[in-house]
Amino acid sequence: MIQRLHGILVWLALCLSGLQTQAQGIKVHIVSSQASAPYLDAAQALIKGLSSHGVARSEIQVMSLADFSNVSPVALPTGKVWVALGTQAAAALAKAQLRGASVLSALIPGSGFERVLRQSGRQASAQFNAIYLDQPLQRQLVLIRLALPRAKRVAVLWGPESWNRADTLRTLANTHGLVLRDARLKVESDLFAALQSVLDGSDVLLAQADPLVFNSSSIQNILMTSIRDKVPLVAFSPAYVRAGALLAIYSTPTQVGTQAARWVLDVLAQRTLPEQAMAPDDFEISVNLEVARVLNLPLDAGQLQLSLKRLEQP
Amino acid sequence: MKTPDIRLRMLLAALLPVLLLSVLLSSVFLATRFEDITEAYQLRTRAVARQLALISEFGLFAANRIQLQTLVRGALREPDVRWVAILDQQGQMLASAGDVQAGALPPISTLQEQAFLDRELHDVLTQPVFATDLKLDDLYEDTRQGNAGRAAPLGLVVLKFSRQSLNAQKRDILLLGGLISALGLLFGAVLAVKLSAGVIRPMMRVSHLIERIGHGDFAAAAQVQAQTHLNDPLRDLQQNLFQMADRLANVQRDLELQVATVTHALREKKEEAEQATHAKSRFLAAASHDLRQPVHALGMFVARLAQLSHDATTRHLIDKLNDSVLAMQNLLDGLLDISRLEAKAIQIKLESLPLADLFERLALDLVPLAQDKGLRLRFRSSQVWVKSDPALLYRILLNLVGNALRYTETGGVLVACRRISGADQVAIEVWDTGMGIAPEHQEAVFKEFYQVDNPARQRSQGMGLGLNIVQRSCQLLNHPLQLVSHQGVGTRFRLTVPQAAPQAQSAVLPVADASEPLDWRHCTVLVIEDDDLVRQALVGLLESWDMTVAEASSLARANQLLGEGVRPNLLISDYCLSDAPNGIMVIAQLRQRLAYPVPSCLISGDTDPELIRAAQTAQLSLLHKPVRPAKLRNLLRHLMRAQTVPDGVDRS
Repeated sequence: MIQRLHGILVWLALCLSGLQTQAQGIKVHIVSSQASAPYLDAAQALIKGLSSHGVARSEIQVMSLADFSNVSPVALPTGKVWVALGTQAAAALAKAQLRGASVLSALIPGSGFERVLRQSGRQASAQFNAIYLDQPLQRQLVLIRLALPRAKRVAVLWGPESWNRADTLRTLANTHGLVLRDARLKVESDLFAALQSVLDGSDVLLAQADPLVFNSSSIQNILMTSIRDKVPLVAFSPAYVRAGALLAIYSTPTQVGTQAARWVLDVLAQRTLPEQAMAPDDFEISVNLEVARVLNLPLDAGQLQLSLKRLEQP
Repeated sequence: MKTPDIRLRMLLAALLPVLLLSVLLSSVFLATRFEDITEAYQLRTRAVARQLALISEFGLFAANRIQLQTLVRGALREPDVRWVAILDQQGQMLASAGDVQAGALPPISTLQEQAFLDRELHDVLTQPVFATDLKLDDLYEDTRQGNAGRAAPLGLVVLKFSRQSLNAQKRDILLLGGLISALGLLFGAVLAVKLSAGVIRPMMRVSHLIERIGHGDFAAAAQVQAQTHLNDPLRDLQQNLFQMADRLANVQRDLELQVATVTHALREKKEEAEQATHAKSRFLAAASHDLRQPVHALGMFVARLAQLSHDATTRHLIDKLNDSVLAMQNLLDGLLDISRLEAKAIQIKLESLPLADLFERLALDLVPLAQDKGLRLRFRSSQVWVKSDPALLYRILLNLVGNALRYTETGGVLVACRRISGADQVAIEVWDTGMGIAPEHQEAVFKEFYQVDNPARQRSQGMGLGLNIVQRSCQLLNHPLQLVSHQGVGTRFRLTVPQAAPQAQSAVLPVADASEPLDWRHCTVLVIEDDDLVRQALVGLLESWDMTVAEASSLARANQLLGEGVRPNLLISDYCLSDAPNGIMVIAQLRQRLAYPVPSCLISGDTDPELIRAAQTAQLSLLHKPVRPAKLRNLLRHLMRAQTVPDGVDRS
């Protein structure tokens, strides 16, 4: 409750500070889908990153999705960079005609951004790009190799929104000496059968974000099935670790905000955004020590994180 | 009726609140308990359903029939569960267990979250099984906005519960409630009886005491007072009652004392009066007896004298003398009649007789008297017959008509009869045009020696015995007698007599048969009389009738005469003799000596009823002094003819 109150107060403070400088030229507009803690954290990290590199607070405007929706399209401010936090904000900015402005979406899963692109008829470009929440497949496979060295067969369940990454993963798995056992889920009722088929003989279940497969209703039964089959789940969110997944690799909102600030600074510095969507640079790893103990896996999140980052360094 | 009423009322007054309270409390208790156990049952069954739904989530997710079958078998072990089934999303039954009969599934939609159906004694509960929703609080959730809302259920759990145990429980509670109520009521009743007894007992004691006092038992107060306790709730009332009873007892004692005193005084007065009456009676009897002897003798002497030849002056004197003797004899006859009526010594002989005959004889006897007085005596005769005693009825009418003639100076006397319509009775009426009787005297005229307006007791106005004799005779015959009189106008006596059917032969009235001559010359009479004068008069009279007379002054003399060879055909004995107890015994002894029942008659100057009854018992004719010569002559004739005595009492 106190945390929620704190978030609201911070959000009000951010909005008010933006309003004060509305008359002057605003360089960065931040539109947030929600006022919840992750979005606030991301916004704060973004502002902090910008401020630390000479962008005045007055040049940054933070607004809610509702505020943005209420503004008439002709009266839209003409900032240089728009940052959308969340899928819904990204969808709103995709529909808006923001002449000459670069739009960077953050805190958005890859499947979500792709849906936004489909719905808005746009393509990822230097003017409309995103930093995905999803960790690169390569990073995920490396993590599996680090955490579960004995694992050979990796089970993956694809949904309609994640299916397009299946081939890539299969290729990468092969390069890492892993065998991919995957299945494509078309309707939710097939979940158990599909899960049963991929888990059979697998060493690890790698979760790929897809609303049809992994959602709040299904996670319990997926976890129970995997644990019963003694197949640990490697997930993409710390919440899954809390629910019973062995470990998760993910980027925190602050990490995402900080990464977004760097790209905004690049744009403000007359550079352009990359043409392709970007993977998150920084990440964190969470381990469910209880599950690890049950599976007799001596894992240490910090150690894994360090090892993985070390491996990613050029 | 009073006792149970009070007890019942007290018991009801004490029990009704207890009963009402008991019923109320029991009802509230039962209603609450029923509600509680029903609610508990519903909660329990729902909890079982939810629990089964919860634990069957993964089995449904995995479509694991074996696991689900295990679960339903486990659920079946829960109390009251009769049938369990788990259905998948499509409504296909994955597992079921329980009674096959109870397995009929009601039409329940799988989307229905809860269906609570009552079917006979079964409750069917359906519980959808949803996947457990874990709040991930994940940024990835943002992308699922379009899929927001509850997901489709994994399946459905259906359980069928029996209400048998619930109903049994209710029944037990009902029994328990009833038992508690009954016990409460019993306890209340016992308490009420105990408590009310403390009040009722003194009340009953007081009630009983009052009843006993009401019956005059004042000693009861003292007995009850001894039983009264200090803590008696009605002690004050009882104390007051005791005082009241005490005072009442005192008052009663005083009253009884007074009554006893007065009664004693009255008894003394009564005894005095009785003694006086006895003295008077004795005096009258003695005087009457003493009077009868000379009058009896006088009558016979005069009769004897009249039989002799005299000159006109002497004849006139003898006639006057005879009148005086007759008046004296009438007075004595009246007294004699009253004596006999008082003694109930008259035997009634009811017979059917024609009134015409009676009237004819009355006319024969009384018309000369009326003519002497210049009055008109008329008889309106009738052919009607009546049922009565001819002699007594004749005597009654003779008295009434004689009375009417005596008190009528002008006009006349009418004797009439008429049938009373609607009743078999005849009214015989005697009308006169006399002075009448004042209303204040109409009751008194029937008393002895009572005469209206005759303080000087004129002999011509009678002796005042006639109506008394009439009334006594009417009462004896049960003939109602009425008197209607108006002063200065006249008097009417009405005698009501039962009517009788006419008969061929009329009753024979004891008419003096003077006309029939009898030869007395062969008749020997033995006269036993101790009074010389009377004996001489009687002997002289009998001898004047040509009888042979043997006279004796005593029983001894009579015996002597018999010893001398005298054989009498008739015995005439005085009742009171000097050497014998009485005449009855004298006759009995003489008859014994003569060895045959010689016709006998007793003559007595005593009108004692005992004597009359004794003569009746001995079947002897009794003549009272003064005996009229004619009557004596008739009796002797009758005795001679009958040779036996048919009737003990002289009825003439």
